Amino acid sequence: MAFLTIDHLSFTYTTPQAATLQDVQLNFQRGTLNLLTGASGSGKSTLLKIMAGLYPKHAGQLLSGQILVHGQPATLPDASLVALMFQNPDNQFVMDTVYEELIFTLENLQIDPAEFDDKVTAALDFVGISALRNRHLATLSGGEKQKVALAIIVAMDSQVILLDEPFASIDPQARTDILAKLMLLKSEQHKTIIIADHDLSDYQGRIDQLLYDDQQTRQVKVANEAQQTALFRPFLRKIKSSDYPLPATGRESAVVNLDHVTIKQFAREILNQPQLDFFANKVTLITGPNGIGKSTLFNALVKLKPCQGTISYAGRDIKRIHQRQYSRDIGLVFQNADRQFVAVTVKEELEASQKHSLLPQIYTPGKVAALFAQLGLEGLEERIVYSLSEGQKKRLQVLLMLIMGTPVLLLDEPFKGLDLESMQHLIDLLQQTAAEQQRTIILISHQLQGLTKFVDYHLTFEQQHLQYVGVAQ
Amino acid sequence: MNPSFKFIVAIILALEISFTNNYWVNLILILGSLLYIVRQKVPLRKIVWLFIVPLLPAVGLTVSMILKADQNFAFVFNLFTRLYAFIFIGSAATLTTEIYDLILSLQQNLHLPTKFAYGFLAAFNLFPKVKHEVQVIKTASMMRGITLRLWSPQLYFKAILSAFSWSENLAEAMVSHGFTEDQTRTYARTIPLTRRDWLLSGGILLSIQLLLVGTPYIINF
Repeated sequence: MAFLTIDHLSFTYTTPQAATLQDVQLNFQRGTLNLLTGASGSGKSTLLKIMAGLYPKHAGQLLSGQILVHGQPATLPDASLVALMFQNPDNQFVMDTVYEELIFTLENLQIDPAEFDDKVTAALDFVGISALRNRHLATLSGGEKQKVALAIIVAMDSQVILLDEPFASIDPQARTDILAKLMLLKSEQHKTIIIADHDLSDYQGRIDQLLYDDQQTRQVKVANEAQQTALFRPFLRKIKSSDYPLPATGRESAVVNLDHVTIKQFAREILNQPQLDFFANKVTLITGPNGIGKSTLFNALVKLKPCQGTISYAGRDIKRIHQRQYSRDIGLVFQNADRQFVAVTVKEELEASQKHSLLPQIYTPGKVAALFAQLGLEGLEERIVYSLSEGQKKRLQVLLMLIMGTPVLLLDEPFKGLDLESMQHLIDLLQQTAAEQQRTIILISHQLQGLTKFVDYHLTFEQQHLQYVGVAQ
Repeated sequence: MNPSFKFIVAIILALEISFTNNYWVNLILILGSLLYIVRQKVPLRKIVWLFIVPLLPAVGLTVSMILKADQNFAFVFNLFTRLYAFIFIGSAATLTTEIYDLILSLQQNLHLPTKFAYGFLAAFNLFPKVKHEVQVIKTASMMRGITLRLWSPQLYFKAILSAFSWSENLAEAMVSHGFTEDQTRTYARTIPLTRRDWLLSGGILLSIQLLLVGTPYIINF
């Protein structure tokens, strides 16, 4: 008999007709590493949070089914049975130091205080972060925070360890370290580990079961041999450097220049760039591993993150440009769409953007309505923006920022959570705008399908360095 | 002294001097608080600030009372010293107590429900993030052509939205770290509540009552 069973589970956030999970049936054995993949915004997080006992307590409604341990219904949440590591390294700690957070957890589990010190020491040693013992959590990097989260799970000694996109915003080295520790927890302590991850690199040959989210049937299914090969394939192929041309030296004009720029996240250096130009009226794609610092680079470009050295826009040091002026020069499409909204309904958002647009002659109400329809958003005018689906929010957000008409637009993962069709609509709109209005677009994206015609130049971000790749013209 | 008792005594004393008019008591409280602060090894820099910060409002109050209300010296001096007494009593409680100790004491000695105690503590630890969040909200709005000021309702609307998502994340994280409301828990550290705490608190309050009764005072409306 399987150790852990998900038995005919259906779950919805709204109505039974719009169930997120429909009749999910899965089995997990002890001492296995299970990988759960699927598009973001699918049911992966939901399933993990149900297994951790957070849902339906905190959100949604369980329509049917149950979680079984050795065939018996489990009472959840039960921290000694199931532990969950979250996607966001922030907001998962109550106390202010690593030691106190571990103690808080042990106190919750009603462990004898006499054992506290040994347990804390053992957990920190296991993860290899004894040096962080008395550090303030607020001073740790994302990767260190996730290691602390893992140490807490080790101290809790839970049978099942769930990880919800745990590597989404941490550096590659931390990811490798944590994965190695998880392999040990599996083999030495026979933990059942389930990781939700959209990035499948490094997993092949290490996992016991690959599960995927089938959005058609709203089920989570076990991938067969052929499906596994197909799912892993995109992560084996690196982008060929010949996909894009290299910028021709001397022929392009720079709109943004980096001169001996160093960006640090706490003690860790993220970028150390002697020289770099972003070219005017071009579309530049930035790729690089998770957590390398791509979003932080964008924050530095819009003056939300201090850095050393000089970043200049149109020849002027951005430190000398007033923020209010500067935000009319460079716009950032945030990864989290909610950040971009300033009003309540979709209509009010569109009006706000039109009112303050730098290109009112182009973005007339008629034009805006046409673009709105082109993105498949028709009929949503009266909706409250925060109630839209993630995909709808994303499309609206990009449109709002295009209307603003800033000469430079930074887009941080604009295709996240979009299906291929919506993504194509958005690329068409961006391409059309860039061509007609001579705008500079700098883009971070993991999603590379369909970008070939749109992107002019390709920058890779690796080992604290940005570099153009491609064929010489 | 037990952290909870310290705060209770401080609140009672502050309330009492709000309704009485006796600068001798104010001066004794200032001196007593100062001695306690010094004994608890609070850095000198912070102690100096305690004298400077209330100076401007205290002087302002005194001058306006003399000029406009035409009050006698005793009354004006009482207001002046009362302001300082508030600051010193408050500081004697806050500067000498770790927030974590207070939270532990409120749970263990006064039986405050754990969900309030840790909810409060988590919120307290989130505080430094608020500043950065406000900056992001302001910049994001500027990119939409809207300048938010400290008095713009939109700023607060966005900040509250962020707070909602933080609190949701935190609540879930607490549960996944084994926290359950109203469940008994073990403690790495117990905050003692001794006979000495009772005697000391009682003694302080009693002697202040005697001083208030012993020296003439007027109820001030």
